[in-house]
Amino acid sequence: MDVDHTSKAEVQFNKVPVEFSGKGTEFFGIWIVNVLLSIVTLGIYSAWATVRTKSYFYGNTKLDSHAFSYLAKPLQILKGRLMAIAFFVAYSLVTSFFPIAGLFFSIALVFLFPWIIVQGLRFDSRMTSYRNVRFNFHGTYGKAFVTFILLPIVGMLTVYLAMPWVMKKMNEFVLSNTSYGEQRLSTYIETKQYYLAALMVLVVTVIGVAAIIAIVFAAVGGLDPAAFVGLSTAAQIAGGLVYFALIFLVSAIFKVKIRNHVFNSSEFEDLAKFRSNMSVLPYFMLISTNFLAIICSLGLAYPWAAIRTARYFANSTQAKISNKADAIIDTNGDHKSSFGDEAADAFDIGVSAI
Amino acid sequence: MKQQLSGTYYFPKTSRAQSVELLVNGEVVNLYQNHKCIMATNTSQLSVSSAIPGVALEVEFLDGGKFIAANSSDRLSLANGKIERLEKSVKWVLASVLMVPLLIWFGIAVLMPKLVTESVKHLPDVVAQEMGEQTFYALKKSILDPSEVAKADREKVISQWQQALDQLGLSKDKFTLHIFKSDFFGANAFALPDGTVVITDDLLISLQDKPDAILAILLHEIGHVQRQHSMRIVAQSISNSIIIAVVFGDLETVAELLVGTGAALVQNAFSRDMEREADNYAFEKLHELGIPATAFADAMQGFLDLNQAHADQPETEKKGLMRYLATHPDIEDRIERANQYGQ
Repeated sequence: MDVDHTSKAEVQFNKVPVEFSGKGTEFFGIWIVNVLLSIVTLGIYSAWATVRTKSYFYGNTKLDSHAFSYLAKPLQILKGRLMAIAFFVAYSLVTSFFPIAGLFFSIALVFLFPWIIVQGLRFDSRMTSYRNVRFNFHGTYGKAFVTFILLPIVGMLTVYLAMPWVMKKMNEFVLSNTSYGEQRLSTYIETKQYYLAALMVLVVTVIGVAAIIAIVFAAVGGLDPAAFVGLSTAAQIAGGLVYFALIFLVSAIFKVKIRNHVFNSSEFEDLAKFRSNMSVLPYFMLISTNFLAIICSLGLAYPWAAIRTARYFANSTQAKISNKADAIIDTNGDHKSSFGDEAADAFDIGVSAI
Repeated sequence: MKQQLSGTYYFPKTSRAQSVELLVNGEVVNLYQNHKCIMATNTSQLSVSSAIPGVALEVEFLDGGKFIAANSSDRLSLANGKIERLEKSVKWVLASVLMVPLLIWFGIAVLMPKLVTESVKHLPDVVAQEMGEQTFYALKKSILDPSEVAKADREKVISQWQQALDQLGLSKDKFTLHIFKSDFFGANAFALPDGTVVITDDLLISLQDKPDAILAILLHEIGHVQRQHSMRIVAQSISNSIIIAVVFGDLETVAELLVGTGAALVQNAFSRDMEREADNYAFEKLHELGIPATAFADAMQGFLDLNQAHADQPETEKKGLMRYLATHPDIEDRIERANQYGQ
């Protein structure tokens, strides 16, 4: 009893700053020059560009005044990227030229998919370090197969009623298998919160769609398809904007509710606790203005959008760190494969939980 | 040359950190903590991170220890700073802003189509054959139903088709005509890369008393086969996806959406070009057969009438912004081009 008591008393948590110090103009230079070099080298330089971009965002994210580091080497990424491209070309050629053989390829892909997810998460974790200690990911193929293939099928069979629970399971898989050095991340996320978020999304979607229909009805005086013919280009653009606004609002609600819940219910025991206090409206404004700026600038506003998004995330995050943070051991061995990571990139699979 | 940086030293394999001064003097590297030397090594025992604007320099030691500079603009002459100089140079950044859109346009709109058109010519015939056969099989299993048009009417169309093939010196084995009923396609005709041509009941019925118009459409479909259009579309969409994925590897969803939309618009522009190419093929072959190109205009007019009758595809749809979303050129343009060719 006594021993237990003293060891608990030893742990003291202190509030530490979470900062992002990246600047739009600085990152613009990095980004545009790297895109040019990637084109000129027929894509080969893109591996270096990826490393530089990630290093910029990691190195400018500071927790308790210590920066994160991105450890991947460009050649690792290049190798993975070439393999992913070869695979993508083979897959596209087979499915388009030999559709029936392509069907078998697609089935094989279902079994490959969990492996890509696990490899990608492992690579991302191991290539991230903080205070010279690397993160790690311990998820297995079997668990990933259940979580990312079988559970979504269950979700669909239940007419999506089980989907919020499936999404919670996916986040849980990612979070509970993450470790910082030897220290596992503990997570206490609740299914209830996912259903609440889904319910809000549903309500807003229904109201939004009803509002759009009402506006259209008022504007053209009916829902006869023939009436739409008269819509001017300006009206088409306005319609498109309302449609995108609804999509952004819905995704902002889900993202904000889930991120806050995930941060508030996950911790490195005795080491670090987090809080997230994002709110829907500012985040909605952020992503919609990013979208408009990127469109109006034909893509050139991308670096600015990326920087202010990262800054917003840092500003809405609080952390408390214990006096044990100085004594975390890194037991990661060397890890070389980046195929999973890049395959995940090429097939556009995003599994990040936060 | 002597260089001194202040920063944090992280001990090997732990999160233990210490404020230190890093001193590099020629090949000798020393770490000082409160003016006390805690490590002495040389430049061959460490690796310095590539310099990136706004990112603090990192020095990794062979034993797993790491030094991170306190000031993000401090650099060691050991670090490779060539790229950083470009990224910080106003001249290079401005040049990139001009060059990047130009090069992307050139790559996707000029270079790739040329390469793709040339390279699909070298594809072995068996690829087109397999692709055609497998697609045909899949379509028959899904959205094509047996024709309900009277047998005599069907035979009339097929014999007219075979006559035309003979006159044009095209292989009857390669170009086979099939008639199906399809609710999915409605009034339509399409060709598969192996030369299989399909025309639907609805189209046949709507052009019943205009055999030349039917022939014009079928010749347009042969044009697609002869110019290897399906192969080019497949090869082009694959190569565009790769270009976009490689050049913009790190884009976020919104930017990806934008780039994807751009790629789709370019793809549709090619599709419209290909339709025009197939139209031209049809005009030429009609001319060879001694049929006026206006037969093609009749066929297109048939589509227009059909659309107006159903009103589900208003003719104004292809005006305004929607024009860029279309995979086919404006029907009225196509009619006019056919009429012009006839004159």
